[in-house]
Amino acid sequence: MFHLRIAMTALHSLRQNLARSMLATLGVIIGVGAVVCAISILEGAQSEILDEFESLGADQVIVFNGSERGQHRTAVSSSLLPEDADLIKKENPELIVATSPQFSQFAQVKNYEKNVATGVLGSTEAYAPMNNYLVTEGRFITREDVRGGAMVCVLGYKVAEDLFGALPAVDKHVKIDGKSFIVVGVMEEKGTLGFTEVDSQVIIPLSTAMGRMFGSRHLSMMVVQCTDTQHLPACVEAVKKTLRASHRIKAGDDADFVVFTQERFKDTFAQASRIFAVVLYSIACISLVVGGIGIMNIMLVSVTERTREIGVRIAVGARRMDIAKQFLIEASVISLLGGAVGVVVGWAIASFLGEFLQVFQSYTPPMSIVLALLLAGVVGIASGLYPAVRAARLDPIRSLRYE
Amino acid sequence: MIEAAQLRKEYRMGQSVVHALDGVDLRIESGEFLSITGPSGSGKSTLMHILGCLDRPTAGSLRFEGQVISALGDKQLARIRNRHIGFVFQTFNLIQRTTALENVCVPLVYTRRSFARATARAALERVGLAHRAKHKPSEMSGGECQRVAIARALVNRPTLILADEPTGNLDTRTGEQIMQIFRDLHAEGITILLVTHELNVAVQAHRMIQMRDGRILEDTAVDEAHRAEIRTLTYDAHQRVFEARGASKPAPAKAAPESAIGGRKEPRPA
Repeated sequence: MFHLRIAMTALHSLRQNLARSMLATLGVIIGVGAVVCAISILEGAQSEILDEFESLGADQVIVFNGSERGQHRTAVSSSLLPEDADLIKKENPELIVATSPQFSQFAQVKNYEKNVATGVLGSTEAYAPMNNYLVTEGRFITREDVRGGAMVCVLGYKVAEDLFGALPAVDKHVKIDGKSFIVVGVMEEKGTLGFTEVDSQVIIPLSTAMGRMFGSRHLSMMVVQCTDTQHLPACVEAVKKTLRASHRIKAGDDADFVVFTQERFKDTFAQASRIFAVVLYSIACISLVVGGIGIMNIMLVSVTERTREIGVRIAVGARRMDIAKQFLIEASVISLLGGAVGVVVGWAIASFLGEFLQVFQSYTPPMSIVLALLLAGVVGIASGLYPAVRAARLDPIRSLRYE
Repeated sequence: MIEAAQLRKEYRMGQSVVHALDGVDLRIESGEFLSITGPSGSGKSTLMHILGCLDRPTAGSLRFEGQVISALGDKQLARIRNRHIGFVFQTFNLIQRTTALENVCVPLVYTRRSFARATARAALERVGLAHRAKHKPSEMSGGECQRVAIARALVNRPTLILADEPTGNLDTRTGEQIMQIFRDLHAEGITILLVTHELNVAVQAHRMIQMRDGRILEDTAVDEAHRAEIRTLTYDAHQRVFEARGASKPAPAKAAPESAIGGRKEPRPA
């Protein structure tokens, strides 16, 4: 009861100096906000991005254009050719089941007045089976389509819905960047595969994409399906060996391609998120210290301003401990309120980033809120200690005469 | 109720030592109404603070209702102040940001009876301010503020009320109202100790102690004759100041006899 009463007094005096208290606690707001934001993003990204890595398949090798410097991938000029895909499969039949060369580009897809801007993927017949990605209507792209550079396309679930609604789409025409294509199939609802939202993707034959449509000599990437997860390291080596030979790269020189596996994605991601976490936690630490100093400052001002009040309280029977408690609780209340605001701010920023970047959904675990508030409480008590001791040590007689 | 023997209080002011109290012997019985007067620096406030357990003497012994105060710790002193003593100050010392009722509640917080609102309301009623419970000190007159302060002093039903220049910041008529409250409280059996340098206030007590330089100079019972004497004395002093002003001369500093210093504050006859 007593402490509740003192907390109420603290809240009351806070309300009197709302602006001042908010400024004092800004550091705590930022600090706690950073903690909550970091945890929300990391948690959300962890569960979601890691899920996506899982969908890449543990037995797949992904090859990108570019070169490596240490661990990091830097995009340089394109180098992967459609022929590389065939070559890799041909040279390593015991290790590799299939290869899926891919070329992707954004384009406008139209069915009369209905149109969507979406990703167009040029690929071969190997793409769908490799990803266990099924056709619900019509058929997928065939070897013949690819060989002949046919003007056919397969629509992702959402694209079909956007362009045709409930009507059948197969055998209808759509225009991709002005060129007419026949819809030969519609894919199942799948969500995301790897990093792409395949439901809003249109698939056309690789040769059509690289030739008539976008005119490119180089692939965007290539996925190599290994016979067995056990053979993955050997498979990576085989891919590297074949490509180095085919690209005529001398021993010791940097390759002009980068090979990724699910493991490596995870490692890279883990590393990136560690850096992100360290940065955010550093901000949080600094902010909390600054916030603590801010609160201490405001409490010292408060002690001085209320010298007479302290004198009166002692005169009417407050023990020194009671006076100290009052200021300690007040500092904690300021800090906890700052912490609460910080939780909301951190959560809001994380959610906004999640919505905005579309890469992950932020997730704020309840434990992180408890942790953040605990942190704020500790900061409040730590920064209220010195002002509280000063208040408790005031001479009541002098305080009563203080002007 | 209070027995003080050879109370001394020394302050160190740089190199020199100030003897605020220089051997005070005093005995106050329960139910007394006494006043302490003296010029500033005579030690009357220091004595009040020590008697009120707010300060400790450098030497000497003090008993409050049989308890040896010097033997008590900080906590016990706080408890005595809280339960048995009420303070009233010249400048009211109310907490400005809260209402009258909240102010009266402050001692209850430290009695661990935080939510005994009814008690606080009763105390306000006793000083005739129930209708001002929700007002803040800044919305009340000086007299009302002092009545709130008295209600605060009363809320824990103390046996002793210590008032330090309770009328010092009030005009004569309001001061008289406050004095009436003290007389009523005394009639109810509460011991009242007034510290003042206004003689005409001091003589309203039944016993008057005059202090000089940290010592008790005179300790007399006050009777009606005494009061009448002081009244004419202060009236004469007022008259003289008044005449001096009327002659458009600056009031001479020593116009009033020394025993009537209190008259200086109110240059008009009541």
